Amino acid sequence: MTFEQLAFYFFASVAILAAAMVVTVRNPVRAALFLILTFFAVACIWMMLEAEFLAIVLILVYVGAVMVLFLFVVMMLDIDFDQLREGFAETLPIGATVAVLVLLQLVIVLTSGPFELEQVAAPVPAAADYGNTHQLGLLIYTYYVYPFELAAVMLVLAMIAAIVLTLRDRTGTRSQKPHEQTQVKRKDRVRLVKMNAEKKN
Amino acid sequence: MIPLSHYLALGAILFSISVVGIFLNRKNVVILLMSIELMLLAVNINFIAFSHYLQDVTGQIFVFFVLTVAAAESAIGLAIIIVLFRRRHTINVSDLDSLKG
Amino acid sequence: MNHILNMQVATPEIFIFSMACLILMIDLYTHDRLPLLSYWLTQATLVAGIYLGLGGMGTEPVTTFNGMFIHDGMSVVVKLAIMLFTLIGLVYSRQYILDRGMYRGEYYVLVLIAVLGMMVMTSASHFLSLYLGLELLSLSLYTLVAINRDSDTAVEAAMKYFVLGAVASGMLLYGMSLMYGVTGSLDIKTISAAIQGMQSDDVMLMLGLIFIVVGLGFKLGVVPFHMWIPDIYQGAPTSVVLFIATAPKLAAFAMVIRLLVDGFQSIAVNWSDMLVILAVLSMALGNIVAIAQANFKRMLAYSAISHMGYFLLGIISANPNGYSASLFYMIIYAFTGLAAFGLILLMSRSGFEAENISDYRGLNREHPWYAFMIALVMFSMAGLPPTVGFYAKLSVIQALVDVNMISLAVIAVLLAVIGAFYYLRIVKTMYFDAPEAERTITTGLDARVLVSLNAVMLLAVMPWIGTIMDLCMSAIQSMG
Repeated sequence: MTFEQLAFYFFASVAILAAAMVVTVRNPVRAALFLILTFFAVACIWMMLEAEFLAIVLILVYVGAVMVLFLFVVMMLDIDFDQLREGFAETLPIGATVAVLVLLQLVIVLTSGPFELEQVAAPVPAAADYGNTHQLGLLIYTYYVYPFELAAVMLVLAMIAAIVLTLRDRTGTRSQKPHEQTQVKRKDRVRLVKMNAEKKN
Repeated sequence: MIPLSHYLALGAILFSISVVGIFLNRKNVVILLMSIELMLLAVNINFIAFSHYLQDVTGQIFVFFVLTVAAAESAIGLAIIIVLFRRRHTINVSDLDSLKG
Repeated sequence: MNHILNMQVATPEIFIFSMACLILMIDLYTHDRLPLLSYWLTQATLVAGIYLGLGGMGTEPVTTFNGMFIHDGMSVVVKLAIMLFTLIGLVYSRQYILDRGMYRGEYYVLVLIAVLGMMVMTSASHFLSLYLGLELLSLSLYTLVAINRDSDTAVEAAMKYFVLGAVASGMLLYGMSLMYGVTGSLDIKTISAAIQGMQSDDVMLMLGLIFIVVGLGFKLGVVPFHMWIPDIYQGAPTSVVLFIATAPKLAAFAMVIRLLVDGFQSIAVNWSDMLVILAVLSMALGNIVAIAQANFKRMLAYSAISHMGYFLLGIISANPNGYSASLFYMIIYAFTGLAAFGLILLMSRSGFEAENISDYRGLNREHPWYAFMIALVMFSMAGLPPTVGFYAKLSVIQALVDVNMISLAVIAVLLAVIGAFYYLRIVKTMYFDAPEAERTITTGLDARVLVSLNAVMLLAVMPWIGTIMDLCMSAIQSMG
């Protein structure tokens, strides 16, 4: 077994085991942590496939931002985890059967021949001066400018949606309102009252 | 040398696990969302593996956009979960049965 | 390879998105002083969008953005219909939105982004633009369903919609990834050419096709992938259901055409067999389960499922005649749905949703005109002769008969007869039952006039029906 094979099977088994834990553990926090482990293992596999940029993006964006968002939400909500487990055992047989069937079919078909080494030879490793990021960058900003713009619209949409759904103007709480505070004029706060001097008596 | 089929099998296994996850965690929406992330990850493995063996960078570009969309999608999904929790004080999907018939 | 970007054909899309951004900003500053400004700006945007879209009529097919955007007869017609139906739907729902405190500038911005997504899908000639358009549409719709945050049912519907929609996208993507592996390309034209040289029993090709059809099935809401439809229709605010039930159906038609016809026409035998099963199940389940519903919106949901089955009949025949019959069916269905939900919105007022069938008891005594309108809509949905619904059903069944699928055509007709029962039940409720409570109509004059016009146009004596048919035919013929 070469080092490459060893590495692949190691990362693949870690990814599969961690993914299996994600869907079976009780606690969403643990599930999120196992999902992060899956992402790390898969990122290593992507490195082996010479997709360095995406492997890094998976770690930085996915683990760094999306999974942290997940953890944040899980921590924010006060969830009763035990209650969520009810009925787990009943759905397990159905779920497992469906999954095994899907898996068997997929694996039989995918390994049935067209994608073995004899048909699709492993490509020659890229030269040392090849830059995956450079190449993707060149294409994304030129040839794929249309989907790039659409992805920008998508992010704007996600931002609007998240704010529309979750922003609440609470009444009854005191908070800083800088735009109003800076515009305060003297006459709003200080009232000069003319009073006659009191007579000394 | 690792054949392409092994990468595809890894994708298929992760895809199936995510399908089980959706079946198993019908009550727990947060883990349901994580299962969906796993499903997209399986798809991305397929794309990157094909892209490598076909020596065609288009597959990687597609993955780039799938990652963007998946990030936007999970932001919206989590926002809906928060709204749901504020209303119901639970994220248990089986409690969500006001709609039936 | 054409590196010059011909942005002219994408003018409506660019315009709509620019206006969406502008409305978002303007609303921020004028929300308190001029509350209806964003509504009027949105309507103006759609009118201008239709005007820009009309400019693209009758031109030769053009691809731009390096083959990711296609402008052809089909895309022009479908986009115009999408913008027009959205515009009419917004007129119907204005009062409803205002009454329920859902009126926010973001509502209209989300609608405009959804319209943009649909237009991108319609013009997609690459898996990438198709996927991004689809997600722009879906993400806006999830948010719109949940936009009434104080409604338990709406939020629940949004959650279900989100989960099933995301699973559907996952399936579609898995199918796309296999297609990419088999053909080595994501460009629909290139894929189509690559498939032509392959055997139709290629296992990988079939596996990819199955996943893509399953994904499409979810998005269309056909049995057995229909679970989300009834919950969304019942739970979501009626104004949003009105939107979901009309324009996105046309975008779904475009997606089916772009994938199955533009992409996989050479393996049409295989996908049309799969669609036959989906179509028969949808027509049967939709029409039969609808009978048992007490909620009007939920009944219309099952009716939508059965209509998707009929729509597929034209696609199944796998020839241009069938496709144009399907396009015609979709336009008529969306137009009828517009009137149906428009009338529900008209009957509702703040604190009263008018969503139960019992709410319509004896409507004829108080509002004979609107009872007549609802009756017309129901006749059209059932496909009874004096209405356009009849022509729509006739054209898809005709397409089946032309390719000698007689038994399928017979099943379709029989199920349509069963379906007529529950539509007529509504008519019976309105005309023969005793009224329960007083009903007042609070909706503005513009919506009342427009919805009446909408319903009257369902009478097939109007000359417009032939025009639409010709338009559908020429749209399909001039596909690039």
